[in-house]
Amino acid sequence: MERSFFAKNPSALWFLLGLSLFTIVVTILSEASGTALISTSFLKTLGKTLCLCLVAIAMDVVWGYCGILSLGHFAFFGIGGYAIGMWLMYARTAEIVVTSLENATLPPTPDEITNAIGGQIFGVVGSSDFPVIWAFSHSLTLQLLAVVLVPGLLALVFGWLAFRSRVTGVYLSILTQAMTLALSLYFFQNDTGLRGNNGLSGLQNIPGLEAQSQATVSLWLFWASAVALGAGYVLFAWIVSGKLGSVIRAIRDNEARVRFLGYHVEGYKLFVFTITAIVAGIAGALYYPQAGIINPAEIAPIASIYLAVWVAIGGRGRLYGAVIGAAVVSLMSSWFTGGGAPDINLGFYVINWTDWWLVLLGLTFVAVTLFFPKGIGGLFDLLQKRKGDAP
Amino acid sequence: MRHVFLALIMLFGATLAASAQTLQPIIQSHVEEIASPSRNSVGVALDDLVASGLPQVTDFLEQWVEKNVWQSGDGTFFIAAETDNVLTLTDIDTGEQRTAPAEGFTQLKPNGGVRRVIGTALVQFQLSDPDLTRRETAVASIARRPEAAQMAPLLASIDGETDAALKTRKIQLANLLSARFAQTPTDRIAAIDSLATDTSVEVRAVLNQILSTSSGVALSEPDSNTAAIIDPFLEPDVSYATLVEAGLAPARQTAAEIKGALEANIVDGRIGGLPLVQMDNPDARVAAYGALAADGKVPELITESARDAALSSHLFFELYDEPNPDITQAAENALASVETRVAAAQTVDLTLDALSLASIFFLAAIGLAITFGVMGVINMAHGEFIMMGAYTGYVVQLFIPNYTVSILVALPLAFAVTFAAGVVMERLVIRRLYHRPLETLLATFGISIALQQIAKNVFGTQARPLTSPDWLAGAWIVNDVIQISFIRIAIFVMALIFLALIIYILKRTRLGLEVRAVTQNPGMASSMGINPNRINMMTFGLGSGIAGIAGVAIGLYAKVTSEMGSDYIVQSFMTVVVGGVGNVWGTLAGAAMIGFGQKGIEWLNPSNTLAAQTYMILFVILFIQFRPKGIVALKGRAAGD
Repeated sequence: MERSFFAKNPSALWFLLGLSLFTIVVTILSEASGTALISTSFLKTLGKTLCLCLVAIAMDVVWGYCGILSLGHFAFFGIGGYAIGMWLMYARTAEIVVTSLENATLPPTPDEITNAIGGQIFGVVGSSDFPVIWAFSHSLTLQLLAVVLVPGLLALVFGWLAFRSRVTGVYLSILTQAMTLALSLYFFQNDTGLRGNNGLSGLQNIPGLEAQSQATVSLWLFWASAVALGAGYVLFAWIVSGKLGSVIRAIRDNEARVRFLGYHVEGYKLFVFTITAIVAGIAGALYYPQAGIINPAEIAPIASIYLAVWVAIGGRGRLYGAVIGAAVVSLMSSWFTGGGAPDINLGFYVINWTDWWLVLLGLTFVAVTLFFPKGIGGLFDLLQKRKGDAP
Repeated sequence: MRHVFLALIMLFGATLAASAQTLQPIIQSHVEEIASPSRNSVGVALDDLVASGLPQVTDFLEQWVEKNVWQSGDGTFFIAAETDNVLTLTDIDTGEQRTAPAEGFTQLKPNGGVRRVIGTALVQFQLSDPDLTRRETAVASIARRPEAAQMAPLLASIDGETDAALKTRKIQLANLLSARFAQTPTDRIAAIDSLATDTSVEVRAVLNQILSTSSGVALSEPDSNTAAIIDPFLEPDVSYATLVEAGLAPARQTAAEIKGALEANIVDGRIGGLPLVQMDNPDARVAAYGALAADGKVPELITESARDAALSSHLFFELYDEPNPDITQAAENALASVETRVAAAQTVDLTLDALSLASIFFLAAIGLAITFGVMGVINMAHGEFIMMGAYTGYVVQLFIPNYTVSILVALPLAFAVTFAAGVVMERLVIRRLYHRPLETLLATFGISIALQQIAKNVFGTQARPLTSPDWLAGAWIVNDVIQISFIRIAIFVMALIFLALIIYILKRTRLGLEVRAVTQNPGMASSMGINPNRINMMTFGLGSGIAGIAGVAIGLYAKVTSEMGSDYIVQSFMTVVVGGVGNVWGTLAGAAMIGFGQKGIEWLNPSNTLAAQTYMILFVILFIQFRPKGIVALKGRAAGD
């Protein structure tokens, strides 16, 4: 008899249980429920962390399972953020503009409204015209489609080009990094219509939800992030288990052999690359409304490198490893750089963690790569082994 | 120096004065114009002063402009300097000095307009002044503000000019002036023709001035010197504005005016009979405005079709300000010829720029070509080695203030520092990760993050200067279009030296032989008695050391920051990959392609270097599709993988 999905993936069940429990606990402690043991800003941090976990498991699938070290998945994440940000910014500005024009002597014409919105949004880059890429920004549905389609299509085209010409290994990594650099440079330009290095801002104000307090909206976004993470985890667990997963892992271990066995390696790689890019885009679309602002620095090549760092520290080749890595490292990052960690006084020099955290992270990363290639997730193996040895 | 010189003139003047007349009587004959001059009246006095040909005139005029001429109670003029109400008077003719209290003397204070007239008169003296710098100053001042009056003195001074460079300059300037101000059209055309081979900005400015146009509109073509007939429908609104300006059509109402008119005519919640709520429709607004116009409350709306009708019934043209068509034709021809030359020069300039950029990429990438290309090791901290080299240069300059010496010290020191860092990194990290290239990439990322942050902690976030020695400060200027800074030339030369050096090391030394042997077959190499560990260490050190030197070179023309490495790392990898891994010539080809490509794209879209970088990266990504092994691909077994 075919074994059920959860029987094959016990970790998925545990993960969903844990995630639900976590969500319930956070909800009870949140400001919206009245207990207010978790501040809204920390709630947002937790919600953002869930989104980072989601993009991390996508990264884990493409790298840990399929062996493609993509240094571009955070760019897809950013594109998702920009796609939703365009709608948020447009709709929010439209509301403000319409309200402000309500008291005008003449009721405003559609042109006047559009021009006023354009002036509000693009004034910072010295323009008031809507660029072509904003053509769908008035529609939530179309922008939500863009969240999925733009990263997906970009990954599809890029992956098709790269895999077709058998670019593998470090070359592919460098190529994806080049793509990320090109994208971030593109976003940085004022005349590409995405407000240059100002980025998109005010994204925490969700149009249509003004009546709700930020505490409530943040909680809803937190729930959405949790649901997305749970669904993403199950999706990827399903992909990497079963026959498809075996082929993907075989490609990682010996691409040539899989090809000789008659599998269409490029197709599998393209599938994994694209689907993970889409999930990254969705994660970004959930992340940036909680962050409130997105700018091109977010998609600079270094961001994708950090993504690889999280997955490596958490333990690649296991989905929960990626979740642990992203959660631990990103929360520690904000703790250390936010001044939460106490300074260490060495007598001759005071180690200030806001300055030295990145040094610690970099060196930890080197150590993990050298000595613990399985990352934090590897600890679970040790535990299991000990359990297995006991009886 | 100048005073000695003035004294000499005066002495000379005094001896002359004994035989000829003195200046004071001439001045006295124009006492009115000189004591209280106006721009129109002073000319008479100046003409007489100049006509006298006296050597004292220059000095007198100069002092007059400087407001150093004083008139005593009896009307005599003196050159004087005032200190604490006491005047040191100098006799205009004899140079005799005495002091007197300032009471009873009036200072001459010619206004700006008069001073300019005097200045023009002075030019002819200054142009033939025995002192070279004063002649140069005079020529420069003419070039700054060319006027018709200066032409004759300039032409007159050319023959007597002794300095060859200044003479060329004077002839050039005389041509520029004649092109604009010569009396007869033939002279002007001759002068304009002589400008056709000159690419300087000055010449282009003069030609453009001759060709300056003003736009006009009329019902039929005028018989003056027409430059072009304009199609008004290319930019209908601009053309209509011309029409309005010429008083040939009423102004169009702007959207704001229409809106204002509508707002001003709201009666009982209706405008022109239409309810106010309908006014969110542009058509309804037009209808309401039409109704108001029909009532005579507002001027008739000029619709787009009315505008187009007005445009098509008029002729729009550009008129040359210069009435003589022969001259404008000559100027057009000359300008076309100049522009062809400028375009050619720009191509040369662009090529030089591209070469310089390529050499920077080459320098940044060549170390990587060794570690990545020859050893197959990805070193993401390569950019940070460049940064370390640059900071080494900065620190050396803190201790050695002489920039030439400090650069000479910094280059080997940067090599030593980054060589050591490379060796340490190879021993501690990379050695454990051979055959796991992806992990090498990650580990070196970690090192790169840590190094960058350490540099930030030590040196701060602001950019540090790495100053080049004075002899590298200027630029090599061929003409107004082609110029390239000496630093870029130095970087180019450095890139060439490195190329030669690396080829030499790899092809002609024992180390190079062993490196190539280990690259091709480590097992065989070690059984031939080569220690692959040592060779890998040396190779990695060499690659890193070169990155350090590149850092000093790059730091000389860009600012030194902790993030400078990351600016170069992706480009460097692209250079190596595009060129073809494992081959120094490939890196050279890759650097050339990326450098020229980027400059080429920049040339197409000059305002935007970011766009050039973006498109260049896209181009490289596509290029790799078609030549995955790069420009210079290794053939046969060595291509391996």
